[in-house]
Amino acid sequence: MAVTDLLPPSERKGRQRPGATALRSMAAGALLRGPLISFVFVLGLWSVVGVLQLVPESIFPAPWSVWSATVEMWANGTLPNDLSVSRSRAAIGFTIGASLGVALGLMTGRIAVVRTLLNPFLTVLRPIPAIALVPVAIVWFGIGEGSKYFVISYTVFLTVWFNTHHGMEYVPEVYLRAARSLGVSRLREFLTVIVPAAAPYIFAGLRLGVALAFLSLVAAELSGASSGIGYRLQEARQYIRTDRMFSLLIILGLMGATVDLIVHRISRKLVHWEQS
Amino acid sequence: MTNDIKEGHVRVEDVTINFAGKSGPVTALDTTSVELKPGTFTALIGPSGCGKSTLMNAIGGFVTPSTGRITLDGTPITGPSTKVGVIFQQYGLFPWFTALGNVRFGLKRYGLPKSEEIDRARAALDEVGLGAHADKFPQQLSGGMKQRVAIARTFAVGPKVLLMDEPFGALDAQTRLVMHDLLLDVWQKHRATVLFVTHDVDEALLLADDVRVMSQAPGRLIRHYEIRQPRPRALSRSGSDLLATRDEIIDLLRPAGALADVH
Ligand SMILES: Nc1ncnc2c1ncn2[C@@H]1O[C@H](COP(=O)(O)OP(=O)(O)OP(=O)(O)O)[C@@H](O)[C@H]1O
Ligand SMILES: [Mg+2]
Repeated sequence: MAVTDLLPPSERKGRQRPGATALRSMAAGALLRGPLISFVFVLGLWSVVGVLQLVPESIFPAPWSVWSATVEMWANGTLPNDLSVSRSRAAIGFTIGASLGVALGLMTGRIAVVRTLLNPFLTVLRPIPAIALVPVAIVWFGIGEGSKYFVISYTVFLTVWFNTHHGMEYVPEVYLRAARSLGVSRLREFLTVIVPAAAPYIFAGLRLGVALAFLSLVAAELSGASSGIGYRLQEARQYIRTDRMFSLLIILGLMGATVDLIVHRISRKLVHWEQS
Repeated sequence: MTNDIKEGHVRVEDVTINFAGKSGPVTALDTTSVELKPGTFTALIGPSGCGKSTLMNAIGGFVTPSTGRITLDGTPITGPSTKVGVIFQQYGLFPWFTALGNVRFGLKRYGLPKSEEIDRARAALDEVGLGAHADKFPQQLSGGMKQRVAIARTFAVGPKVLLMDEPFGALDAQTRLVMHDLLLDVWQKHRATVLFVTHDVDEALLLADDVRVMSQAPGRLIRHYEIRQPRPRALSRSGSDLLATRDEIIDLLRPAGALADVH
């Protein structure tokens, strides 16, 4: 029986999968070793520049000067305080913005009225950078914590909303059809089909949101703050303490990367079916 | 064998289905009337794009006919329901649930106690020979196994009609033969009216009581073969009428200008 002739080409696709998986796991191994190599390389290069004194210290400080500035700021207590202040601003701003973003994204994704009323408006808001909002935030919320939370959560909110909304739009039709013909309630369909199907997009939005929380944190602290990493950067500029600036920038980068890694890990656990 | 079944009677009456295309409406299904008698197995075969999936989606309640009407046991179909089960070529399993979780999902509407729900889901998986894989996620299963989970999930809610749109199209020849036996087995136990879309003439002849052939797009039903050979059937047996029917269908499916297309 010549059944083989009738094999569709899609069958051939299925057979390529083991190779692709192997490639992916190799890439994962490279990723683990990648960052370390990169850090050692950059630090080495930077040290060479420092040793040769190619550039004045006040413009481009050597690694050891940055290190001692860090120790100094830690010892006098400003760094631990700045860290905890900035961390809680970013965390609170992120939490507010992300919750609102997910909630509204689920709504604009599912409810046509809400979508019609809000989507064009939100789309216009998206290109407004966080720093442009600072003056408004200060008028509305004063120079206290409120204006920082506002700027951060606003930025996070828009990105998380956007990604959630799009995740909802791309819920595969076949899932909805399967759910409908199995007769589950609309609520169960929403909670156990639509939300999980959109989850990979929601998490992508949350990761972007984390990065933006740190970005807008600095914007929020550049004016009207008396502590925090962003404020300390501003202060370092006044005293032309480039070593401190470098230290603070590196800390900011490490904080952001760490939180990003954590969110990434969590999302891989929760959205375990999404391989890439 | 099928005489005592009373439910699952599908009538498609003068149905046409149009979609809004870029340049005006497109006819996806031309005037079609067909009756699926309770408990019968109908294979639908036709050139790509002739409207097989469209007809199926209409019976499934996913698409509303532009004209005509479709009834199930005398009641018009107005939307998807558990009376009409659907098996998709892309499986339609939820990757965030295990095999067991997928079957349980369908059982939710019965509001069973948890242990009973699990027992019933397990029994459904056992029936398709997947008891040992209940806790695997769809991504960990082969194509054939996925489709078995989908079959278990659908039959577990007791549909009167089962729609299958190229369900085994993505499987290799060997797996396909295994799936044919399994499907016939489960179908004979649960006795639903089956509408089965395929591009594989052999598959249609091996499985169906009725083989319906559609024309080129915009499709309409052009031929009806009643296959009366008892199952299990084989096409290789010499002197089988099935081979003659097979040649006829293949001839029907050959596009009019096929010779001109050969490169
Ligand atoms: N939602 C839709 N909107 C617009 N056109 C559609 C839609 N669904 C189907 N069509 C069109 O209707 C026609 C019939 O499509 P259908 O999917 O029913 O064909 P088919 O017989 O199932 O083909 P295949 O064998 O390739 O699966 C095609 O021309 C297709 O482009
Ligand atoms: Mg189709």
